[in-house]
Amino acid sequence: MSKLRPLCMPKWGIEMTEGTVAEWMVSDGQQVAKGDVLCLIETNKITNEVEAERDGFVLRIVEPAGEDARPVGTLLAVIGDTAAEEDEVSSFIAGFVPSESSGAKAASSGKSAKTKAPAKVPTNLAISPKALELATAHEVDLSTVEGSGRAGRITFQDVHRQVNLPAAPQFKGPADLPAEDYVIFATPLARRIAHAHGVDLAAVAGTGSRGRISKSDVLASLSKTPSAGSPFEVVGNRPQVEPFDKIRKVVARRLTEAKRDIPHFYLRISVRADALLAFRKTANLVLSSKASVNDYIVFAAGKALARHPEVNVQVHGEEIHRFPHADIAVAVASDKGLVTPIVRQVDRMRIDQLADASAALIDKARQGRLSYEDLDGGTFTVSNLGMYGIEAFDAVINPPQGAILAVGAATEVPCRRDDGSVGFEQCIALTLSVDHRAIDGAQAAQFLATLKGYLEAPDTLFA
Amino acid sequence: MQLSREALLQAYRRMKIIREFEERLHNEIATGEIAGFTHLYGGQEAVAVGVCEHLDNDDKIVSTHRGHGHCLAKGCEVEGMMKEIWGSSEGLCKGKGGSMHIADVDQGMLGANGIVGAGAPIAVGAALAAKLDGKGKVAITFSGDGACNQGTTFEAMNLAVVTKAPCIFLFENNHYSEHTGFRYAVGTKDDIASRAEAFGMKVWRGDGTDFFDVFDTMREVLDYVRAGNGPAAVEFDTERFFGHFEGDPQRYRGKGELERIRKERDCLTKFRESVTGASLLEASELDAIDQEVLDQIDNSVDAARSAARPTADDVTTDVYVAY
Amino acid sequence: MTKMMYRDAIRSTIFEAMEQDDSVVVLGEDVVGGMGTDGGPEAIGGIWSTSTGFYDAFGADRVIDTPISESAIVGAAGGLALAGKRPVAELMFADFIGVSLDQIWNQIAKFRYMFGGKSTCPAIIRMAYGAGFNAGAQHSQSVHHILASMPGLKVVMPATPADARGLLREALRGQDPVIFMEHKMLYGMEGEVPDGDYTVPFGHARLARAGDDVTLVATGLMVSRCEQVADKLAEEGIGCDVLDLRTVSPMDEEAILDSVEQTGRLVVVDEAPPRCNLATDVSAIVAQKAFASLKAPIEMVSAPHSPVPFALELEQAYLPSVDRIEQAVRKVTGWQ
Repeated sequence: MSKLRPLCMPKWGIEMTEGTVAEWMVSDGQQVAKGDVLCLIETNKITNEVEAERDGFVLRIVEPAGEDARPVGTLLAVIGDTAAEEDEVSSFIAGFVPSESSGAKAASSGKSAKTKAPAKVPTNLAISPKALELATAHEVDLSTVEGSGRAGRITFQDVHRQVNLPAAPQFKGPADLPAEDYVIFATPLARRIAHAHGVDLAAVAGTGSRGRISKSDVLASLSKTPSAGSPFEVVGNRPQVEPFDKIRKVVARRLTEAKRDIPHFYLRISVRADALLAFRKTANLVLSSKASVNDYIVFAAGKALARHPEVNVQVHGEEIHRFPHADIAVAVASDKGLVTPIVRQVDRMRIDQLADASAALIDKARQGRLSYEDLDGGTFTVSNLGMYGIEAFDAVINPPQGAILAVGAATEVPCRRDDGSVGFEQCIALTLSVDHRAIDGAQAAQFLATLKGYLEAPDTLFA
Repeated sequence: MQLSREALLQAYRRMKIIREFEERLHNEIATGEIAGFTHLYGGQEAVAVGVCEHLDNDDKIVSTHRGHGHCLAKGCEVEGMMKEIWGSSEGLCKGKGGSMHIADVDQGMLGANGIVGAGAPIAVGAALAAKLDGKGKVAITFSGDGACNQGTTFEAMNLAVVTKAPCIFLFENNHYSEHTGFRYAVGTKDDIASRAEAFGMKVWRGDGTDFFDVFDTMREVLDYVRAGNGPAAVEFDTERFFGHFEGDPQRYRGKGELERIRKERDCLTKFRESVTGASLLEASELDAIDQEVLDQIDNSVDAARSAARPTADDVTTDVYVAY
Repeated sequence: MTKMMYRDAIRSTIFEAMEQDDSVVVLGEDVVGGMGTDGGPEAIGGIWSTSTGFYDAFGADRVIDTPISESAIVGAAGGLALAGKRPVAELMFADFIGVSLDQIWNQIAKFRYMFGGKSTCPAIIRMAYGAGFNAGAQHSQSVHHILASMPGLKVVMPATPADARGLLREALRGQDPVIFMEHKMLYGMEGEVPDGDYTVPFGHARLARAGDDVTLVATGLMVSRCEQVADKLAEEGIGCDVLDLRTVSPMDEEAILDSVEQTGRLVVVDEAPPRCNLATDVSAIVAQKAFASLKAPIEMVSAPHSPVPFALELEQAYLPSVDRIEQAVRKVTGWQ
C-alpha cells in the first residue's frame, strides 16, 4: 500500500488565485527524485517550475498541460512514495477534496510550525546533538542511518546525507582507451584528447618534463593557425543545435506577445551626468553606501513616478491600475536568462536603503534564488546596458507595466560652456518605451523631463 | 649420564611427535591444502628436545622461521599448532600468525620468527629480565648457519657479554642457509661457535644428531649460565631432511645426499639403536609410542580440518590492547 | 610485441643490461643458489627466478651470492654505486627493509645530498612485496608508502610486464637510487611487451581504462583489480579512468589532477594500511589542488590498520578486494 499524495495547483504570493499547467516534464508512472522538475505552471504574472518535494513516483497526471486556468488547490497529479495499483489511485482521485486553506502546497508539505517531540533514540545510540536535532526536524528513521563517526557514532553529516538522498547522477560512460605508446611520452589526458580528435601525437611538441606532451600541447596543436603564405582553407561550420529550454520558451512567448500586442512609442532624451557622477562620489563617502549610478537613476525614477502617477501604472485588459508607490523592476542578466526582480516602494526609500535592496536582489538573481515575491508585479522597469558601453537602446515593455526606461552608458560629448568656450561633459542617453493604450505622449514626456531635472541637479533629489 | 626410563620414553615421544608432525605437513602441503610458506624441522629433533628437556616454563626460548620443533619441544600443544598452520581461529595464534609465527609465551616460547636473525636481541632482552628476577632462569636463542651472519646476531652477542646476560646462543648448523652452503656463506676461522669465542664467551660443541650428546652438553652449558657466568654459546652439527621451504626442489643437494643423511644421520634411528642396544628400552615400547604419535597427529589434522574458521571481523582484533 | 611473463621481463632486462654494461652487478641472498654445496652453483637463480642463468653467463664477481645479511647487501650496493658500479641488489622480501633500513634511508637515499651533489648512487634495490600468498605478517607487507616518504629515493611499482621492463631500463640508465617493488602475485602474469629498446620514464602514470565518471588511482596488483571493476561498471554506463601510477616517487600529480578535473570523483586503492599511506597522500593532493572539481567526497580503499594476517579468510578480508573497490566507486558515483 503506497502512501499517496496530491500534487495541487500551488498558491504563489498573496494574489494568485489560479494557474495554468504550461507543460509536464514527467509522465505517468515515472520515478522522480527530490528536486526533479515536475511541471511548469503559468500565472498571469510569471511562469515557474514545480519541483518534487521527495523521492517517489508520479502515479497519474490528472490535469493535462495547456488547458484553461484552474483555481489554486486543484488536483494536478497523484504522487506516491512507491508504485501503486491503478484502482488505488482512482479511488484516491475520486475521494480528493481540495484543501480549504490558502495554498495546497503548504498543506501537502505537512510541515507544521510547531516544534516536534524529539525523535525516539534507541538506547545507547551514539549520535551527536546536532545530528539528533536534524534527524528530529526531518523525521529521519535513525535505524537506517549508518554512523561514520568514531566507533559508529552518527554525525551531522550522516543525517544530512539521509535527508538529501542522492540523485541519480548523469553518467557519461566509458571512453575509448588509446593504446599506450612507449615512444611518445604524453599525459593520459593528452592521449585521450588526441585520440578523440585524431591528432597524431608524433607531430605535437611537448612542453612538460622531459618533453612530455600535455593537454595544453594537444589543444594548441588543434587550434594551430596556418603558417604565413599558406592558402586559405574553408573548414566545417556545422551549427550546434540547441532547443529552447523551459525558461527561454516562456521568455520568448511573453516578449513576442508584448512586442506584438502593445503599441509601443519611444521618447529619447539625453541627460548631462557630470553633476550626478560627482554627487554620487561625495554622497557615497558621506553615507558610506555603495550606490551605483544605476541606483541613482532608479532612485530618481521613483521620485519622478511619485510626481507623475499617470506613468506609474499597470494595464490589465481594459483597466488601468494606478499605484500610489513606485515598485521598480531592475533587469538583471543571470545564468537562467534575463530576470527582473523588483525593488518595492522606491519613492519612499533613502538612497542607501535602495542600494542595499538592489544589491541583495542582484545577488539572489545571480545565485538563482529569486522567489516569486521578488518577481511578482512591479509598476515600472529600468533596464541598463551602460556597463557594456551601449550608448542608447529601446527596451520592450514588461507587461502588465505601462513603461520601461532604457539607460545607456555615460559618454563624453563636446558642449558649450557658460563662458562660450568648448568643453566636454558626460552624457547619458535615456529611452522611455511607453504603452500608448494607457499613457499619452505628453504625460510620458513630462515624466521624462522631471527625471532629467532630478538627474542633472541631484541635490534636488534630497530636497 | 643416566636417564630414567620415563625420561627416555618422554624424550623419544617428543622427538617422534616433531618428526611425524613435519612428515605429515610435508604430505599435506604437497596437496595444496595448506597455504603460505612452511619450513620443516625434520632431522634436527634431537637438538630441540635435547635442549628443552632441561627447561621449565620460566626459561625462555626464541626460535626461527624453522620453528615447529622448538615449539613442540618447549610444550606448545600439537593440536593448537596444527590448527594454526591450517589458519583456524582456534589455532594457537587464532590463525593470524601461521607456521612462521607460532608462539606461546606462557610456555616460555617467545615465537618463531620470519625475520632471519631477529631472535638473538630478543633473547638477550629476555635473559636480562631473568637476571633481574634472580631465579637462575635463562634465555636461549636458536640460530641457524644463516642467521649467524646477520648483524643483529653479532650485536646481541656483544650486548650479552657486556651485560653478563644469562643468554645462550645456540647455533644449529644444518649446513644450509636457505639454498646456500655453510662453507660458502659463513666466514670464520673454523665454525660458527668460534665467533662467540672471539667475543670472550665460553663455547661448547656437539653432535646434533645424537640426543645424548646434546642433552649432556646442554646440562653443562646451562649449569654454567645459571651460575651467573654470563652468556655462553653452543653449536650443534645437524641435518635438515627437507628443503629450505616446502616446494624447494633442493637442486643444491649433492647426489644421494638426502638418502645418505636419512640413513646415517637420523637422530631418531640413532636414539632407538642406542637405547635398545643398551637394553634400556624394548623396541616394542618404542613401536607403541610410534603408533600413539601417529594417531595423535592424525587426530590433530582431523581437528584442524574441522576447526572454526576466522571471519573478516577478526582482521582488526588484537592489533592493540586498548583502542 | 612479444608475450612475456613479469618475472621474465625483469630477468631479461637485467641480463641485457649486464651484457651491454660491465658495471652492472647483481647481489643478494641466493641470487645464484647452491654456493658452497655439493649440488653446485645455479641451484635456483633467485627465489623468484629473476636471476636464473646469470651466474653461468657472468660469473661470481658480477653475480654476488650473499649471506643472509640485508644491511650488508644494501650497504654494499650503496658502496658499489658510489664507486661507479651499477648494483642491482635483491632484498627477496620487501619486509626486510626493516633489517636494512638505516642503509636504505640514512645512507643510500642521502649520499648525494649530504655530499653536496658531488656524487651519484645509482643503486637499484629490488624487492618482492605484497600479500596474497598467506606468507604471514613478516613476508607480505606493502611498504611503498614508507619508502616514498624518504627524500632521495625513487620508488617504482610496475603493474605489467611491459612496464617492469621499461621502468627497470629507466632505473638502469638513471643516476639515482631506485627501490624497485615487484608484487609477488604478479610474477606469473603474462603480458605483451613492446620490442625495441624502450624505457618508461618515472613520474608518468599510465591510463589503464578510460571513462568520464570516476577516477581510480592504484599501483601494482591493485591496478588489475581496478580494471576489473572498470570493465564491470562500463556495462552499466559508468566510465572509470583507471590510473596506474607506475611510480610513487616521483608521482604523476598532473595526471591525477587532470583526470579528477574531468570526472569529479576519486577512489584511491592502496594495499598498505590506511594511516599515512599512498591513498591518504593522493587524496590530500586532490583535496588541495582539485577541490572545486570534486562532486563527491574522496573514497579510499586500503588494507585495515592491522598487520597482514595468515589465514586464507583473514588475508582475503585484509586485501582491498574487487568487491570493496566496486562499492567505493558506487558510493562516489551515487553521491549527490
